[in-house]
Amino acid sequence: MSGGTWARISTDAFTVAFFAYLAAMVAAFHHLAFRRRVVWAVSVALTAGGLAAHLVSVVARGLAAGRVPLGNMYEYSLVLSLLVVAAYLVVVEGLARIRTLGGFVLAFAVLTMAVAALFLEVGPGPLVPALNSYWRQVHVGSMIVSSSLLALGGIVTMLYLVKERSERRRAASPRPILGGAVDLEALPPHFEASAGEPVPTRWGGVLPSAAVLDRLAYRLIAFGFPIWTFGIITGAIWAESAWGRYWGWDPKETWSFVTWVIFAGYLHARATSGWAGRRAAVIALVGFVSLLITYYAVNLWIVGLHSYAT
Amino acid sequence: MSPTTSVSSIRRSVALVWRSLRSMRTALVLLLLVGLGAVVGSLVPQVGVADARIAQIFRDHPLRARIYDQLGLFDVYGSWWFTILYSLLLVSLVACILPRTRALVRNLLARPAPARDLASMRHYAEVAVGIPPDRAIAHARRVLRRKRFRVSRPNGATALAADKGLAREAGSLVFHWAFLLLLVGVVWGKGTGFSGQAVIVEGETWTEAHASYDGQIREGRFFGEDHSGVQVHVEDFQATYRPTGQPADFVTRATLLDEQGGVLQPVEIRVNHPAEADGVRFYQFGYGWAPVIRVEHDGEPIFDGPVVCQQGDAPEGVSPLQVPWRCVVKLPSLRPQIGIRFELWPDSRGLLSLLETGRAMPMLVAYAPVMTWEAYEGDLRAELVQSVSALDTSAMRKIGSGALGAGETVDLGRGVRVSFRELRQYTVLTVARDRGMWIVLVAAILILLGLLPALYGSRRRVWVSAEAEGPGTVVKVGGFALQRGSRFEEEFSRLVRDLGAVLREGSRDARERVGA
Repeated sequence: MSGGTWARISTDAFTVAFFAYLAAMVAAFHHLAFRRRVVWAVSVALTAGGLAAHLVSVVARGLAAGRVPLGNMYEYSLVLSLLVVAAYLVVVEGLARIRTLGGFVLAFAVLTMAVAALFLEVGPGPLVPALNSYWRQVHVGSMIVSSSLLALGGIVTMLYLVKERSERRRAASPRPILGGAVDLEALPPHFEASAGEPVPTRWGGVLPSAAVLDRLAYRLIAFGFPIWTFGIITGAIWAESAWGRYWGWDPKETWSFVTWVIFAGYLHARATSGWAGRRAAVIALVGFVSLLITYYAVNLWIVGLHSYAT
Repeated sequence: MSPTTSVSSIRRSVALVWRSLRSMRTALVLLLLVGLGAVVGSLVPQVGVADARIAQIFRDHPLRARIYDQLGLFDVYGSWWFTILYSLLLVSLVACILPRTRALVRNLLARPAPARDLASMRHYAEVAVGIPPDRAIAHARRVLRRKRFRVSRPNGATALAADKGLAREAGSLVFHWAFLLLLVGVVWGKGTGFSGQAVIVEGETWTEAHASYDGQIREGRFFGEDHSGVQVHVEDFQATYRPTGQPADFVTRATLLDEQGGVLQPVEIRVNHPAEADGVRFYQFGYGWAPVIRVEHDGEPIFDGPVVCQQGDAPEGVSPLQVPWRCVVKLPSLRPQIGIRFELWPDSRGLLSLLETGRAMPMLVAYAPVMTWEAYEGDLRAELVQSVSALDTSAMRKIGSGALGAGETVDLGRGVRVSFRELRQYTVLTVARDRGMWIVLVAAILILLGLLPALYGSRRRVWVSAEAEGPGTVVKVGGFALQRGSRFEEEFSRLVRDLGAVLREGSRDARERVGA
């Protein structure tokens, strides 16, 4: 098949994946609100179907360009969102068996793909000489794998902060007299009193406990962090052969270091008395923002050696 | 105040500073501050990365530029405050890990310590068996050893103390020491090394020495002026492009020679594939065009050689390949002095398409090259510092202009004839030496190797005691994990199950022996 055919297949599969995720996201939020098992199953099935189409899109893109599809921001976004969804299915749904986080993860994937399609799309094609190196696959591959894990960790951290706050409020506020016999956790949000009252469980109630979210976020970040470290190291090795120095405070390098420092700070904070829990989570959240800056802002707004990746 | 109290108060405050540096909290805050400093460095243009933008800020906002400059914001990574920050972080790091390393070594040398109250431990189980305590302990010891616990048996007691997972702490310490090693490698390598740019025209030989760089070099703080003297003879440079005009490959074919001119090796330097000689590495960086120009005055050659042309600035929306290259020939020996400004079109079809359609086609290869020229006479003002590629015409008068194809000669009058003999290319190589690179690489690998057990390992401790009860023995097992408690729960119950199986088998054997 010709490159053009593969390119079309890639775009079509991208569209299928995008709308499958969008539908899955709506279903996941519906499940979060109304707890219908069937809707959850539909959501997971749509996610898995979307993931298959997504994979087709990535492979077809590679075939169209005649190389590993990790050459520009559009392709990074394509692979990043693929890995985030895959990691979510394997780690969150599969290993941790948490069924309430799908909507948030899919929202991230859908946003990433939308940004890619709207702002970053370029046709498949060959690369400039500096990108012609097998380090590209190793460096970019590990950066994207770790980005997807750290991003997932960031999403879970956000939910942790929501849940932790609602748990704290819940502990602080007295139980409603009439609601004493009712398990508030089990109620969908529209059963809750609306105005005037503290509404500790509006969002928090349907999420897994703060302790579970905290542990999950930690595992994702602890998994992603060494891969990020590896990515920085391979990037430095590549930079040495391409640009004549292994480190030059190029904006992308600087921000990858900043992200590394923040997540290192998070890992340390969890082991520091008085910092574990909310403070550590805030650090992880700052790390998530830094990750997004490293990923997008540096390429789109700050001029540097990595600019050709747009 | 007596001298002794002042000494002791100094000692107290030093101890206080040391204690606060030792705390993880301080290290954490310092780490995040270093990150914040790096952020500033990525937002404000930096010396050596974006010099043009710094100059622009100095022009447009002089006050802000001066303030930034005073605060070192244009050179964050070399500024006093960044240096202080990371030095403090280093001291704090050492203060954190030195006692921990001592403790780990002590821990490694010591045997696992016995414990008394097993029943109050987080995980606890009892197994009743029909063999004497001594034998039961021997079995338990084997089971724990097989599971790769470190096991010790306190003197005379029918008890065991075991632990596992010191790799976690060891990995964490390897990570932190390697981080220090990395910084040492960076500082030493950059400090004793250099990095510069060599411009070499095809057919010429360039010697690696300070003067050869034309100022395009940065030498480290502790650089010992020990340039290698290695020579590079460039045979040719080749840039290939795809049909779309996208560059495909840049190759410099060259021969590396030692100081005495002995051939070391022929090399092909291309992007991502540097060459190396005597610890100095050569990287493909850029390229350009160098017309060979000969100037005769009254029949005598006064200038003859390749002139390095610079790529002209491309306006918005125009590729640099569509604009002509600029170079200058200065003839200071003539009276009045003469300067000639050239614009080189390596592919004359570029110039033609510009004249015909108003839009130049990209010039990828040399094709009937042509140069437009403007000649001036007067004072070159050579006493002012100026770049070789700029011509200051403020004290000069234009005496002519025209176009000159390759192989052609033009007569400027006044006995001056200018020939465009041929068109060559030049290559720009980044030349650098960094002896600390290998230290940095080893440190980076150690960081990664240390990180894995530090993040995924867990320290577990288990105690076993056996007490005679009636005809048999009650074996008590207690333990806990310092990390990953939920996973240890499973491991502990498996341990107890295996221990029970081995002990029961042991007692069956014993019964059979008694029965026989």
